[in-house]
Amino acid sequence: MALFEVFQTTFFLALLSLRTYQSEVLAERLPLTPVSLKVSTNSARQSLHLQWTVQNLPYHQELKMVFQIQISRIETSNVIWVGNYSTTVKWNQVLHWSWESELPLECATHFVRIKSAVDDARFPEPNFWSNWSSWEEVNVQDSLGQDILFVFPKDKLVEEGANVTICYVSRNIQNNVSCYWEGQQIYGEQLDPHVSVFHLSSVPFIRKTGADMYCEVSQGNVSKGIKGIVLFVSKVLEEPKDFSCETQDFKTLHCTWDPGVDTALGWSKQPSQSYTLFESFSGEKKLCTHKNWCNWQITQDSQETYNFTLIAENYLRKRSVNILFNLTHQVYPMNPFSVNFENVNVTNAIMTWKVHSMKNNFTYLCQIEVYCEGKMMQYNVSVKVNGEYLLSELEPATEYMAQVRCADASHFWKWSQWSGQKFTTLEAAPSEAPDVWRNVNSEPGSHIVTLFWKPLSKLHANGKILFYNVVVENLDKPSRAEIHSIPAPAKSTKLTLDRHSYQIWVTANNSVGASPASVIVISADPENQEVEEERIVDTEGGFSLSWKPQPGDVVGYVVDWCDHPQYTLCDLQWKNVDPNATSTVISTDAFRPGVRYNFRIYGLSTKRIARLLEKKTGYSQELAPSDNPHVLVDKLTSHSFTLSWKYYSTESQPGFIQGYHVYLKSKARQCHPRFEKAVLSDGSECCKYKIDNPEEKALIVDNLKPKSFYEFFVTPFTSAGEGPNATFTKVTTPDEHSSMLIYILLPMFFCVLLIMIVCYLKSQWIKETCYPDIPDPYKSSILSLIKFKEKPHLTIMNVSDCIPDAIEVVSKPEGTKIQFRKSLTETDLTQPNYLYLLPTEKNYCGPGPFICFENLTYNQAASDSGSCGHVPVPLQPSPSQLGLMISPENVQKALEKNYMNSLGEISAGETSLNYVSQLASPMSGDKDSLPTNPVEPPHCSEYKRQMAVPLCLASPPPTENSSLSSITLLNPGEHYR
Amino acid sequence: MDEGDSWGMLACLCTVLWHLPAVPALNRTGDLGPGPSIQKTYDLTRYLEHQLRSLAGTYLNYLGPPFNEPDFNPPRLGAETLPRATVDLEVWRSLNDKLRLTQNYEAYSHLLCYLRGLNRQAATAELRRSLAHFCTSLQGLLGSIAGVMAALGYPLPQPLPGTEPTWTPGPAHSDFLQKMDDFWLLKELQTWLWRSAKDFNRLKKKMQPPAAAVTLHLGAHGF
Repeated sequence: MALFEVFQTTFFLALLSLRTYQSEVLAERLPLTPVSLKVSTNSARQSLHLQWTVQNLPYHQELKMVFQIQISRIETSNVIWVGNYSTTVKWNQVLHWSWESELPLECATHFVRIKSAVDDARFPEPNFWSNWSSWEEVNVQDSLGQDILFVFPKDKLVEEGANVTICYVSRNIQNNVSCYWEGQQIYGEQLDPHVSVFHLSSVPFIRKTGADMYCEVSQGNVSKGIKGIVLFVSKVLEEPKDFSCETQDFKTLHCTWDPGVDTALGWSKQPSQSYTLFESFSGEKKLCTHKNWCNWQITQDSQETYNFTLIAENYLRKRSVNILFNLTHQVYPMNPFSVNFENVNVTNAIMTWKVHSMKNNFTYLCQIEVYCEGKMMQYNVSVKVNGEYLLSELEPATEYMAQVRCADASHFWKWSQWSGQKFTTLEAAPSEAPDVWRNVNSEPGSHIVTLFWKPLSKLHANGKILFYNVVVENLDKPSRAEIHSIPAPAKSTKLTLDRHSYQIWVTANNSVGASPASVIVISADPENQEVEEERIVDTEGGFSLSWKPQPGDVVGYVVDWCDHPQYTLCDLQWKNVDPNATSTVISTDAFRPGVRYNFRIYGLSTKRIARLLEKKTGYSQELAPSDNPHVLVDKLTSHSFTLSWKYYSTESQPGFIQGYHVYLKSKARQCHPRFEKAVLSDGSECCKYKIDNPEEKALIVDNLKPKSFYEFFVTPFTSAGEGPNATFTKVTTPDEHSSMLIYILLPMFFCVLLIMIVCYLKSQWIKETCYPDIPDPYKSSILSLIKFKEKPHLTIMNVSDCIPDAIEVVSKPEGTKIQFRKSLTETDLTQPNYLYLLPTEKNYCGPGPFICFENLTYNQAASDSGSCGHVPVPLQPSPSQLGLMISPENVQKALEKNYMNSLGEISAGETSLNYVSQLASPMSGDKDSLPTNPVEPPHCSEYKRQMAVPLCLASPPPTENSSLSSITLLNPGEHYR
Repeated sequence: MDEGDSWGMLACLCTVLWHLPAVPALNRTGDLGPGPSIQKTYDLTRYLEHQLRSLAGTYLNYLGPPFNEPDFNPPRLGAETLPRATVDLEVWRSLNDKLRLTQNYEAYSHLLCYLRGLNRQAATAELRRSLAHFCTSLQGLLGSIAGVMAALGYPLPQPLPGTEPTWTPGPAHSDFLQKMDDFWLLKELQTWLWRSAKDFNRLKKKMQPPAAAVTLHLGAHGF
């Protein structure tokens, strides 16, 4: 043993001495210098790649060494980076090291050198550095080509917030180079005459297609071209959030997460980040195809614990998140199914459902929710395979929505989705009597009773109300009750009852049965309407009504009113009030401003008879009157007039009329007594009189000046104000004397009128007195005597029957010459064939006297030729007449006859009267009227009454002969020539 | 009028009647000629002009500044493979119909191919839809021009083998240059459509038959 120890010590000493010797050799004889330094570049990464070997390293020797590297830019003295690189070096090993430049390598020449030192624990200090290697120059610019301008780095991809250095290299320093970043010119730092550098710090994400930097080279104002780069800025990759996995069937794990922002860039510069799922226990990995979920197949039933790592990755960054869980704690059950309801009745139902089978002994916790009209009931139940639950305390005829969801009862992780179904409970008979009220209109011998009822609430209806039964029973005399069935949804019915007391039952009925009856009694006595009406005001909460408590038994009070009193169907409302109460507040949204609401308060006796106790009326809000009265002005005198508006209704106004304002305008500045000054809305002044009594609808305005102009305006007022503005009515008082004139003129007018009436009434007497009728011999009474007493053939001699022998001219004024026409044949044939006895041809209508006898018996021809009538006869000549007219012989003969007769028989101009013998027409009783149809005169039988007529008015008798004679020779158109 | 004149007139009438079938306007037998198809092509060109206005706006905004700036007018570097629509006015006027139509056809064939490349790069679905729609319309225009050429009896230009333009994304082409190419592609398209509208309008007017069916000019010479 001792020998062994001695040997061992000797061996170690020898070895140590060998090592010491070797290190001395290494240090002194074999300097470990880096040699064969080569530098290459990677423009895309902007990195320098160094590779070298270490000289003099013993064969199979490993040594820890440290290398110091210096990097200079532009010139060797400008060292921009110094760093150490430690590694274990083997014999003949080529060493690699990279350095990334923030400046694109194309922008400047770089120089690299390296030195080394042994950094091995086996070698004691002091260590010493080798000599520097020679500078290695890296110049990429030379290989760029002949273009005039270059911009670097090309299409770089950086993360948001990075600092980026960009440079341009211009071949010609004479050129002007302007650079733009995202459209904005930027200015850089000049590295050398050809190179400028731009530092962009903390670049933001701008768009997926990258941000553009371009430089434009120009000479003078001439653009030589542009060069640019696209800087792709990626959003920072986020760590996935809310990463979790769960199973529904113990076969698949469904893992989900929130991926955060998408870091994809356009131009395929960077796709969306990828997600990889790694499970550490199994060592399995899966690349997820979706960005927010991934399914993992459970292959080993035995594995219960899982440790998942989700790795998100893009070109620039990698992020991961980890979860560790027990599979049985992450169960998210599938929805329950086959939800049904059994034995559904009025208040109960049994709910059943099924759940998906899981592992053995898996128990579900299920939750049931039952909804009905906003209410919700919740129950929990434990289920193995099939679920069942009795839903009780349900309401009849109600639709319910019931739903169920389940979770793992052992380790709650998550509820399943809901599965639900609707069901409706059965109907039951209505549980409450309808609220009934009535309105009674008494008519002679009958009551018109209108019954109103409110629909039962859903709670009490217990189903759909189908109809209402109204049973009417006469209380005064025994008779069969009348039953009226009124189909729903009617809310009222009208009954005509005679003047007896009646009891009325009203029930609501659904498909199951009837409700309890509501009873009301109509008294035989007419309703007492003589209750004084009291005015009330609406407080903010509504109308506050109060009444005197009633002596005796009152089972309750009812207040009724109309929601819309302005309409025929006024929508009667009522409110039942407790018998102990003597006040209530009526408030409803139906109340509108300016509408008068009338409230009636009834007391209900124990016999269910309603008695009107009080009446109230009021407005929810009074408004100013909507219209002004129509004012009449009467009793207008020179000093006063009366205004009246008696037909103005104060009841139908949007407020209680409190009185009237009468405005009066006059020229006088002073107001009349009782009037006060007021200023109108237009600023004008007037006088105002206030009438406080709304029923006082007249006003005498006196103390006025005669013949003066006044204007007035009457408007009512309520508590809310006056009626609308309207125009003033104008009144002018009459003159004081004008009335006196009326006093004189009126009696005079009546006097004249009286005289005229008397004259009219006594006209016959006046006529007989002043100008009696000329007696007619034919109508003489003597004729009758003759007829009776003498021979029957005896008649009065007719003048025409006689041929007079001579005409005696009674008087003939001397010196009067009658100038005849020289020759009628010389006259125009169209001239009338009168026998002219005129002094001159033209002045035939003059005052000159002439005599004309028309006597057919005396001279037929003269009579035919027109006698002395100058008024044309408007008869059209018949063809025969025309024939006569155009026959020159006839004309000639007639004219000759006329002429001769005139010459021979008439001595004209000797008398002042023209006596015309007229044949009285037997048809004509009235001498003034002409017969419409000329009849043939009785041949020479009668004398016509003779009368004096002026020449110009003398008209020919309408005998056929005479007219014929006139017409045959007259052209009507030339009659007056 | 002597006897010689009568003979002359008769001879002239006979000559006119003899030549009547040769008058083009009378020789129409229901064939409407290339007129309607030229009109359709013209209408399609105008529609494409309108459509491109909206598409270019969207696409240049997608590229970002400076490409979407209204006064961005860089010297044309790169994009040399695109058919240039800009041509000297005199040269353009001197072209005949066949040459014009051929140039149009060739240009749209090239542009359509580049445009499809553009569609492949577009990152948003909406932009891809707009580009696809425009490509379909441009394909229609190409067919329409081919129809007009066929109606006029001109042969379609045959692409030389190997010269068919293809869109090739390559690392050699920087993204900025790619954006410039897209910019120029849209600009050239715009100019081509403007030029084509003028071409088709001119052709339309040229091919339109005169308003009156035939105007026979009978001179009085010799009568």
